[in-house]
Amino acid sequence: MLEILTNLFALAIGAGFIGAISGLGGGVFIVPALVVLAHMPMKVAVGASLISVVATSAGASVAFVRDGWTNLKVAMVLECATVTGAVIGAYLAGVVPTVVLELLFAAMMLQSAYFTITKRGDDILTKGDPLAERLELGGEVPAEDGNPAHYEVVKVPQGGALMVVAGLMSGLLGIGSGALKVMAMDYIMHLPLKVSSATSNFMIGVTAGAGALVFLARGDVATTIAAPVAIGVTAGALAGSRVLPYIKVEYLRTVFVVILLLIAAEMGWRALSGI
Amino acid sequence: MPKQEEDRILRVWTPILLRTILIAAMIILVGGLVLDYTFAPDYYVERYHAVQQGHLIGKEKFGLLFDRIRQGNPHAALTLGLFVLTLVPLARVAFCFILFIRERDYTYVALTAYVLAGLIIGVLVGSVG
Repeated sequence: MLEILTNLFALAIGAGFIGAISGLGGGVFIVPALVVLAHMPMKVAVGASLISVVATSAGASVAFVRDGWTNLKVAMVLECATVTGAVIGAYLAGVVPTVVLELLFAAMMLQSAYFTITKRGDDILTKGDPLAERLELGGEVPAEDGNPAHYEVVKVPQGGALMVVAGLMSGLLGIGSGALKVMAMDYIMHLPLKVSSATSNFMIGVTAGAGALVFLARGDVATTIAAPVAIGVTAGALAGSRVLPYIKVEYLRTVFVVILLLIAAEMGWRALSGI
Repeated sequence: MPKQEEDRILRVWTPILLRTILIAAMIILVGGLVLDYTFAPDYYVERYHAVQQGHLIGKEKFGLLFDRIRQGNPHAALTLGLFVLTLVPLARVAFCFILFIRERDYTYVALTAYVLAGLIIGVLVGSVG
């Protein structure tokens, strides 16, 4: 028993740490590790992954919200779009073949990786567009020297449109789609990367929380696996959220690209293997 | 957004949510895993292999949770802990709702209400289906 628990904890702590600093939730490591290494059925892995996303968000958001990294207003505006997409997605399930969606998602991840590689550092805007200013979406990046940098936000409708797609994908494929959230905020809306990551962390927990409640109510979460994973992920996320402020944006982008490529590979593998 | 009001509310809600996470972790660790490890490690391993075979899925229904707690089943503690943990991100949206009401920021009160309604519909539709 100790060996099983040690392995699950180790996997989960790593997934929680990287999930927290990247804003992607950690599910990307949990699913393949449980299926390939622990020989778990896909359904068990997806349930544990959902719980791991909730745990990452719960753990990481403690420090991110308190220290001002999370932009609650951006989160709420984009969450409206995500929830709409997720509800539409739930109704569309079965209309579009899953294989097509998985390949489409893999292609989107590859494109996101390309965008992330080509962008360097943060391009902080001092003037937002009229809608963003009306919604008061601008914020401040916390700084150790006490002089926080102010940033403004642009292209809210475009970011929102991508969030509807993210919600649709979540509803149809049962994935967190944190990558699309970070992309929308970092690349389209020009939020600083760390703010994007922290805000994505907040958002993924909300959608995954609703999904996890459904899974728990149906009895589709194998608690034997998900509970130790949740503990490890929470610990990893609490640690990751304290490290994020000290990580250079360039390093964070590299981590992000690697994860995007992993997600693309995982989705391609799911599509081609028919799991 | 009035920064002082926001900071004041965040100071109140951060420790509440952190304690909730710690309580969830304690329920899972002490109520489930430590009890299992101390009294019935073989039972945990047996269940682990049953999950690998796909046998336990769909059987740990949430509605039966309190019956199982009364029977002293340590695995009910795992489910309870996961349930408490799941409520944390959802509670954050509820706290945001309160925050925006306190700030009289009605645009965001409406947006947050829409998110909460969407989540409730999602959970209800998902549970029924």
